[in-house]
Formats: sequence, C-alpha cells, structure tokens
Amino acid sequence: MNHSIFNILVLLLGFSVCAVAGNHPSAKAVPVHPSDSDLTDVPVQKTNDPWQRLNRTTFRFNDELTTYALRPVAHGYAAIVPLRVRTGVTNFFDNLNYPVRFINSVLQGKITRSAQETGKFVINITAGVGGLIRVSDHISRLADVPAEDFGQTLGFWGICPGPYIVIPILGPSDCRDLVGFGGDYAMNPLNWHALGIIQHAFIPNAVSIALSGTKFVNGLPKSVESYDQLKAEAVDPYIAMRDAYLSYRAAQVKK
Amino acid sequence: MLLQRFILRSALVLLFLRAGQLSGAASSDDAATTLRSSVEEVLSIAYSGHANEALAARVRPALEKCFAFDIVTRQAMGPGWRQFSATEQKRVTDLFSELMIRTYSARVVGTQRPKIVFGSPVATASDRCEIPTRVTTSSSNEPIAVVYRMIKLPAGWRIYDVLIEGVSFVANYRAQFDELIQKGGAVAAIRTLEAKLAQPVPSNS
Repeated sequence: MNHSIFNILVLLLGFSVCAVAGNHPSAKAVPVHPSDSDLTDVPVQKTNDPWQRLNRTTFRFNDELTTYALRPVAHGYAAIVPLRVRTGVTNFFDNLNYPVRFINSVLQGKITRSAQETGKFVINITAGVGGLIRVSDHISRLADVPAEDFGQTLGFWGICPGPYIVIPILGPSDCRDLVGFGGDYAMNPLNWHALGIIQHAFIPNAVSIALSGTKFVNGLPKSVESYDQLKAEAVDPYIAMRDAYLSYRAAQVKK
Repeated sequence: MLLQRFILRSALVLLFLRAGQLSGAASSDDAATTLRSSVEEVLSIAYSGHANEALAARVRPALEKCFAFDIVTRQAMGPGWRQFSATEQKRVTDLFSELMIRTYSARVVGTQRPKIVFGSPVATASDRCEIPTRVTTSSSNEPIAVVYRMIKLPAGWRIYDVLIEGVSFVANYRAQFDELIQKGGAVAAIRTLEAKLAQPVPSNS
C-alpha cells in the first residue's frame, strides 16, 4: 500500500472497458444551475464501476475488519510507539522503496526525477542514519519530488485504469493499479529475498516477512485515522472512497 | 498612411490586451491576498490554545467570510438541486455548510500549526482563479498539495472548491449525492445530512 493518501489503499487490467465509464449516470458533467453553467469546470470523476455490488460487499468486509481488528492494533501500536519513532520507521521503508521510484521515473523518461530520487536515497541513507531521517527535505531540489510507481507508469504509457475494484484487506484499486502493484512488489528490495532475486544463507524468509509486517503495522495508525476521517465526513463512504481514490491516482499520473 | 493606421491599431489592440492581462493579474493577486488572510485568521483561531471541541463554532465567522457556501452546496448537490423547493434548498445549504465547516475545522486542527506555502494564483477565467498551496503538518511526511478554487463575487473573492492532492471537495460530494438525490430527492439529502451531523466528530491527532 505504497501509493495512497489513505495508505490502506492498494492497487487487473481492463484496457478495453474504458468506454463503459461514459455510460454511467454520474459520468456526465451536468451544469448545476442555469446561472452556474460557467462553474461546471469542477471535474466530475468518470466512474467505471461495473462490479459495484461485489465491491460494496468487500468494502463492508474491510470496514468490519478495520473496526474489529486493524483499529485496535493501530491504537495499541500508536500508544506504545511514539510518533517520532513511527515517522523514522516510515522514512526507513520509504527510502528502501527507492528502486521502485527510480525505475518508474526512468520508464517514464523522467531523467531529472530519477536523478533526484538517487540524490534523495544517497543523502538519506548516509546523513539520514540509514534512511530514518529525511534529510533531503531540507534541500529544495530534493524536497518535493513526486513519487512514481508502476501503476503511474502504465497510466503514463496511455493504459486506461479499467474497472474500479475493492480488494479484501487491501482496499480500493483499479485494474491498472493492481498490475502496477505486482510490478512494484517485484521492484521493492524488501521482497527480493522472498522472490529469490537475492539469496543469502543468513537471511531466512522470516526476516523478509517480519520487515513487511513491521511496515504494515507501522502505517496502520495513520491509515486508520485517515479512514475514520473519511467515514466521518462522507454521506456515502463507498463513493467518497472510490472518487477520492480514482481522482488521486489520476492526479498522480499527471504529475 | 495605411501602414501608420495599421501600426496605430495594432498598438491599441496590444495596449488593451496588456491592460486586460494586468487587470487579470491584479485581480488574482486580490484573491491571493484574501485567501492568505482568511487562512491565517482560521489558523489563528484553531491554534489559539482553546479547547478543540467548539472549534467549528469559533471558525464559522471566518469561514463564512471566505467560502461561497451557496455555490459549493449547489454544485455538490448536482443537477438534482433544480428539483428542490426554495425551503429545501435553504435547509440543504444550511446543513451542508455545517458539514463543510465541521470537515474543514477537523482537518485544520492538529498538534502543531501547519506550515503553508502559497503559490502564485493561476487565472482560469476573468472572474475565477486557482491558488496552489503546499501544507506541511506534524503528522504528514511530505507536503500536501491543496488547491483553492476562487470566484469573484460582488462581495469579493470567495472559495468555491478545495482540491486536496487532486481530490475535489465539490466533485467528491457531487458523486456521493448524485445517486442519493436520484433515488430520494431533497428529502433523502436532508435526512442523510441531518444523520451525518448527529454523529460525533473524530479527533484529529
């Protein structure tokens, strides 16, 4: 769940079904009021959600899972581990994700961005004590580099998002991002041992699993807080989440 | 003679165009000034040391000065708005404004005052502009991109939409209300908003 603003969001391809979006009632930007016709530039998310009934069921399952399992873990973890430590752990795993951002910047031909990512990685791993501190944030050219991933690369190459899909445990996604998630999984060094890309007698698979588990639990407090906030504000949390996810990913692809 | 006339006409056209650009730029600058002072006022209230429980009530006057709540509500309700009676429109505007104020104040408050960097306004029409900002909070690892969409009304510049990391507040609510209003009309919208406002606000840590 590297991509999203809600952190719990994760990312099948349905290249040919993009046209379906245009048939959905909410896909059309309709003037709100005769006198407001000049204000219709507010983008309306075109929604490709042919599996809505199944998605809503999965959404409810994930909601119950959050309520009865993830939220207690998140609160317990946040009570034990101070924010500063959690931020350090987040920074460490974020820095470790450098190959994903670097390779995807290159795949999109964004050479300057790939160089900035390399600069960030080197500075944070050295001056930032193994990546625990984001020293790069204090260097203007490295402070605000949009993070690239394989879902965005596919979007950059002109591949449509395909139908919206809610995945059990992982959360909202679309078909393109689901494939992107697979690509990012393979590019992340955290998974290289499990995938057999690197072999070392002293590193059992358990270490890889433990690191992934730490990363997941460390991100939970923020994810749960963001989810609770969305639920509190939304009149239909399913649609609010779907619109937010799709708009957010569309904006990321454009960056 | 013809050449002189052509040069004179071209110069006049250029002059008008330039004047238009300058007036547009000055106008957008007014929007930026309005936004900056409004955000500053809201933050001053939010971080004045008072308890956060009554924050929504305390920031309401400041938000009423800078948000075009009626326009935001109309757009968020979508095409169904036209079928509402005047009384229903008033009721929905009041309830939705309340929800917006509650949402905004819940998001703006945290443990530390956020650092906001204002970008240059971008004119999208003669009476509208977008102002990009970068918000850094104590709980966010990276700055959050927040874009304010503003419209020039007789009373001055007002916010009519806010985009957080590309997610439009108005478009998000319009997507949510679209199906609801198609099925149940204004009654469903009012009932849903009342139920939502009756729920407690989660604390922002």
